[in-house]
Amino acid sequence: MDFIYSFISPGFLSQILVGLSRTVILFIVASGLSLILGVLRIPNVFHGSLYMIGAFMSYTISVAFGGGDTGFWLALIGAPIGVALISLVIERGLFQYLYEREHLMLILFTFAISLVFGDLVKLVWGAEYKSVPVPQVFQGFVSLFGGLPFPKYNTFLLFMGPVVAFALWLLVTKTKMGKISQAAAVDREMVGAVGINVSWVFATVFVIGCLLAGLGGALVAPTVSVTLGMDHSLIMEGFLIVIIGGLGNIWGALLGALIFGLTQSLGILIWPQFGIVFPYCAVIVVLLIRPTGLLKSTW
Amino acid sequence: MKKTTFFLVFAVLFAGCFILSHTASAANTIKVGIVDTFSGPASTYTLDVLDGFKLAIEKINAKGGVLGKKIEYTTRDEKFKPDIGAAMAKELVLKENVDILMGTINSGTALAVSEFARKEKIPFFVTYSKSEKIIGEKGHRYVFNMNENTEMAGRAAAVALAKKPFVKYWIAGDDYEYGHAIADAVWNNLKRLNPKVQQVGQSWWKVGEPDLTPYITQIMAAKPDFIIVATGGASMVNFQKAAKATGLSQKIPFYQHTGTELGTLLSQGKDAPEGVYGTSNFLFYFPDTPANKAFVDEFQKAYKRYPKASAIVGYMTGQFIAEGFKKAGKVDKEAFINALEGLKIDSPVGPLAIRACDHQLELPTYFGITKKDTKYPFLVSTENQIIAPKDYMPTCEEVLKHRKK
Repeated sequence: MDFIYSFISPGFLSQILVGLSRTVILFIVASGLSLILGVLRIPNVFHGSLYMIGAFMSYTISVAFGGGDTGFWLALIGAPIGVALISLVIERGLFQYLYEREHLMLILFTFAISLVFGDLVKLVWGAEYKSVPVPQVFQGFVSLFGGLPFPKYNTFLLFMGPVVAFALWLLVTKTKMGKISQAAAVDREMVGAVGINVSWVFATVFVIGCLLAGLGGALVAPTVSVTLGMDHSLIMEGFLIVIIGGLGNIWGALLGALIFGLTQSLGILIWPQFGIVFPYCAVIVVLLIRPTGLLKSTW
Repeated sequence: MKKTTFFLVFAVLFAGCFILSHTASAANTIKVGIVDTFSGPASTYTLDVLDGFKLAIEKINAKGGVLGKKIEYTTRDEKFKPDIGAAMAKELVLKENVDILMGTINSGTALAVSEFARKEKIPFFVTYSKSEKIIGEKGHRYVFNMNENTEMAGRAAAVALAKKPFVKYWIAGDDYEYGHAIADAVWNNLKRLNPKVQQVGQSWWKVGEPDLTPYITQIMAAKPDFIIVATGGASMVNFQKAAKATGLSQKIPFYQHTGTELGTLLSQGKDAPEGVYGTSNFLFYFPDTPANKAFVDEFQKAYKRYPKASAIVGYMTGQFIAEGFKKAGKVDKEAFINALEGLKIDSPVGPLAIRACDHQLELPTYFGITKKDTKYPFLVSTENQIIAPKDYMPTCEEVLKHRKK
């Protein structure tokens, strides 16, 4: 008994919880990336930009409503919708003509859009750092295990993760839309041949994927400084998670995000000076053992 | 026949270019070329440098300029890339015929441009990069450092921290050159000034890491007395937000260079943590002197915002350029540099001089603690302690020993 207790030290448990709350953001963003990758076959480099725009929009909405609690909740709904609208315009205006192109070209194209978005964000919101206040209910922290603090906002994140995962599961497996999109991913022409408007299925999936990026941005906004450049750090992690999870597999994204979030927070506990390297080591290990990712890739 | 026509057209065009560029250089102006990062997250600082500089030269030009010449400037955005920055500096000198170079927030670019300035013998004012190599190891006659560097910031913090009762220190920061340089400077000087201090651990996270909570919870579990936090840019705010959310700021005090500065505190509004120790080289509300007030009022009137620390760097660079030429009495680069060495001006924060030996501006540092203030919608630095240049600047010998003979 004593042995078990010493192993499950307060610091260890606290790091796991903190790691899980980080996992939530990574999962929400990576699942959107994976969805688009799986169904549309687009490696969406500007997914990170949409996450950044989600955070900036949540700042604008929060400020417009006085920076209080109402502002936060409205931002949480409004920012993802705003991002979804932007993505709808991009999909209808540009992408629907490009699905047949080569992957390399699509990567370059989405990369170009990410650069354009970077400058647009600066034009619209300026270069100053922005900050979204944490709502009253989630301010401060709760003391857990041996008095170690756990931010209340992170408990909210821990709640949001399963909610989003469940909603995605419903969407993909229980709705007609989800089933069509799964079929379209496998054989696009066949789906079109049975009289389904594939173009709109793709648009819907794309918009939902981008909505998740916006939601990730809105959720992360109160915990960080909303600033230009927040897209770059995230998109790399997003792609790594999608790759180790299995391209296009949403549950792979969940698994990848868990691995990434937990190895990071536990790595910090073990060796804080080199905490950075642990998630990347995990990526290498996974790719050595299963080069195509942990779960079945849809590619 | 065709060939001759082609040749003639080419010759005319070529001559045209020559004449145009010639008139440009003969125009009655002193041209300053500014290479800096005007895009991306760094622009929150660089735009203040530029606006501060504009304010200074507009004032000088309104009074008829210097030596009867107006000061003009051209800007180039190097997008945080040293190779592009160096190419732009070259272009500014060779095509735009600028007399003086100025910039940048990126240490890599500053060093690359500095190397070019040395070869071309063009005076170069470094405005917001913090590498100590600029005037140390890579210093030369044509480069001037107009803000503090990591060694100076670290020493100033160490002077103040050495008097505090903390013993067990933890070091944490952004895992890049600036983070390590600041951390080393604080720690090495602190150890020298107070041999009792001990280091109990270190954490380093990657630049741009959004959520620092896991690092903070781990440090809190280790229970140090004090944390030296070596962050820069947006990470300053990320750390403070995570410190507030985890309650770190109430339990374990920590220090951040520029942690008390407007650039870090403005965006967080009233939500920033109180009790953060920080050093800054400019606060728009301290010291409360008429000169500082006048500068802040002018800046606010022109740009409808409070000036950040980088604004005064730009402003003073403008002042030094004008005063330097005035003292030299002619537009001659060598005479200008001789004039700048040891030159003292009346800046908004009091009389300041450029040290002759290494071309470092001697500026004071303010050590303070963040606190809410009813006068402003954001936190301010309180209990400010002025650390005078003589108390914390490395001596001429210490700086010059790094330079190769």
